[in-house]
Amino acid sequence: MADFYKSLDNSRDVVNTRTLLHEAIPLTGSIVSGTYVVHSTNTAENIKNYSHGMFTSIYDYPYLSSSANHIFDITVGVSPQSGIYSSVTTQQSKKKNIYNQMAQVLMGYDHTGSILQFDEDGNVLAGGNKIKECFFLNFSRLLVKDEIKKGSFELELGTVPVHTLEGNQTFGTRIKITDYSGSDGYFVNSPVGEYGVLYATGSEGKNGLKANQYFACGLLFYQAGIAVLSGSVFNDENLGGILSGSEAITPSHTGLNAMSMSADDNSVNDNFTAILTGSEVSGAASNILNRIYNIQFNNTVELNSTIYYCRANHNEFNYSTNPTYLSGSKIRVKTTSTDTPVSYITTVGLYNDNNELMGVGKLSEPLKKTPDTEFTIRARLDY
Amino acid sequence: MSYYKFEEDDIFVNTIEAYPEYRIYIHSGTVWLDDVPNMSGVNTTNILNVPNGHVSLYEYNIDRTGKFIYPFLIKDGPRDSFKRTRKLTYDTKHNYEGSVVTSSYMMSASISRDYFSTTSRVRMGALKNTLNYYTHRSQHYQYSSSHGNKATQNINLISIPSIMYGSSIREGSVSLKYYITGTLMGELSDHRMNGELVQVGPVGSTGSGSVAGVVLYNEGFVVLTGSWSLNPDSILYETSGPSTWLTYGYGVKDSNGSVPTIGPGITTTPSASFLMEYSGTTHIQTLTMLAHAKYGELNHSNNPTYTTSSYTVIPHYSGTHKYVEQPRYFTNVVHSKFNDKKPEFKKVVYISKIGLYDEDKNLIGIAKVATPVRKTDDHSYTFKLKLDI
Repeated sequence: MADFYKSLDNSRDVVNTRTLLHEAIPLTGSIVSGTYVVHSTNTAENIKNYSHGMFTSIYDYPYLSSSANHIFDITVGVSPQSGIYSSVTTQQSKKKNIYNQMAQVLMGYDHTGSILQFDEDGNVLAGGNKIKECFFLNFSRLLVKDEIKKGSFELELGTVPVHTLEGNQTFGTRIKITDYSGSDGYFVNSPVGEYGVLYATGSEGKNGLKANQYFACGLLFYQAGIAVLSGSVFNDENLGGILSGSEAITPSHTGLNAMSMSADDNSVNDNFTAILTGSEVSGAASNILNRIYNIQFNNTVELNSTIYYCRANHNEFNYSTNPTYLSGSKIRVKTTSTDTPVSYITTVGLYNDNNELMGVGKLSEPLKKTPDTEFTIRARLDY
Repeated sequence: MSYYKFEEDDIFVNTIEAYPEYRIYIHSGTVWLDDVPNMSGVNTTNILNVPNGHVSLYEYNIDRTGKFIYPFLIKDGPRDSFKRTRKLTYDTKHNYEGSVVTSSYMMSASISRDYFSTTSRVRMGALKNTLNYYTHRSQHYQYSSSHGNKATQNINLISIPSIMYGSSIREGSVSLKYYITGTLMGELSDHRMNGELVQVGPVGSTGSGSVAGVVLYNEGFVVLTGSWSLNPDSILYETSGPSTWLTYGYGVKDSNGSVPTIGPGITTTPSASFLMEYSGTTHIQTLTMLAHAKYGELNHSNNPTYTTSSYTVIPHYSGTHKYVEQPRYFTNVVHSKFNDKKPEFKKVVYISKIGLYDEDKNLIGIAKVATPVRKTDDHSYTFKLKLDI
């Protein structure tokens, strides 16, 4: 142990830093659906539906296993201002409540106290199109951590009408939904933090979009870890969507579109609006899950650190007060007056103002310290 | 809703010391932890994506192939990196600012076994000071003594990672059992609680009562030196020979990750199996808070449903010189056995939640009770809130 305490100069020896640690989160379609199908019951072991019927939980492994991680929830909401609201015959109040609940948490209220609807381009004050029928993907905090990294979100959806529970026949034509402008074009007028606009573009195979451009199709709330997906990505342009009916793989479905849907047993082809009005939330969620080809994003964790630069000058820390430093009441390494003192630094102690030991930093190997050498030891404390 | 301040006697910080039990079974080169089978998935032979018999440190990439979750950071001025990224790699491979430095979440830990029969034993040498430090507990710890010289004698060193015991292995909890074709041939126990592993079974067996090794409780090592024969049948371990405590745990990877040979056609090797049981020690700091609902307090709620909806009065009216709030009537929920008589009104609330606030009155936590607790003027309650920290 050294024989004196050396004070740190806060202006040059103590530095606070912030490190952004990221994780790449790939969620392929096979993880979401298809891998853990039980054909006898036409269900998937990693997809959990509840008796309340308000959302569906997705796990990366059969959810009865303790090894399974919850990855996201999916649900659907319909605004009472939506044109199809009065046509909703199944779980109408639940779909309305889900929309209102999500909207009031994510978008907040206007000056009259009314719930703000989701705005297609994020510019609430300017008005414009509102997202009134939407899917919500609530990603697990395990995956989102502090926030979704802006500009990193990608969701690819198959657009072929026929789908199966295995989800392996639908990915010939896909659209890709990204927050490509998120890194510098995000909004801050949400009560839950920052959000960006999701845009759809063509991906693989036939381009199922009605025009070769980016279509605003949802919102992504970065800190909340929630993607709001507009119903327009599932509908034909004739029905107010962004898909092109001419690109439908099965054109025999007159009036339907490239993203028309079917029930789990593949018996009924239907369009998105009909799914929204006539299906339960779990049924609508199942339709979307089987369409997911890939989801990927990066997350961010903010690590705060304090770095203490501990400086040992040439004339400091050359002696030790350890008992083993002495041999026969003499300094072991300095038996004559002309010998140079030597010590080996193994540990750096950090003390508070009252000289109480608060922390200890250990070196991987001892450092030889003589009057000919000077060291600056960097002690980093993460919190 | 009222705010109450926790008094000095209402907050306690305690440490819970727990002793989780561990059970490691080794047979024919396969390790089972706590009798949990190594589960295969649809895509992988072990859903945790770690070798069989290993603890997964993160349990992120369950049953995945190809696309894995992994951490990364951008190389930047502060020179932050991952512990597993070597400095040389960081300096050379990631030589430009802005490079992406990646790591992996498929990290695992398990026991390892090193057998030393030559004098080349760096790992043993590294424990010399530690072993000598515990000599006050037993002379068998001494690196070199009349009980043997650990620099030269044959040694079977079993290393246990700290994730498999916590702060330390609990003294007196270690049990090592040696089976040949399912029959117990020898059992070691540290029942003296001084670190010595004494053969305690089977009764009357060769070496019974002898010390076959020592345990480093805080460091997670079992050092076995007992060389007497537990079973005379020749079995192919490192070399063919009888079973001794020096061959205990054969089949486990060594500390370099090398798997010993369990050869085909060697029918006797799989017949040896090993069971190691011990308890770890963990410390969990807990914050206990006592929230009091005293007599005559917390008997009113501001919830909108607390007032009755039977009276449809205008909540307030105002004139040129006045603003008058109309009285509101509380719902009388006092129980009565009679339908034709209203019971006398009493203030009753049902406590369903307790909010925890910081000194700036920011809500930082909520505790919920399993069922709402009925509170009247005549009742006094103390709610005990516990938080692991």
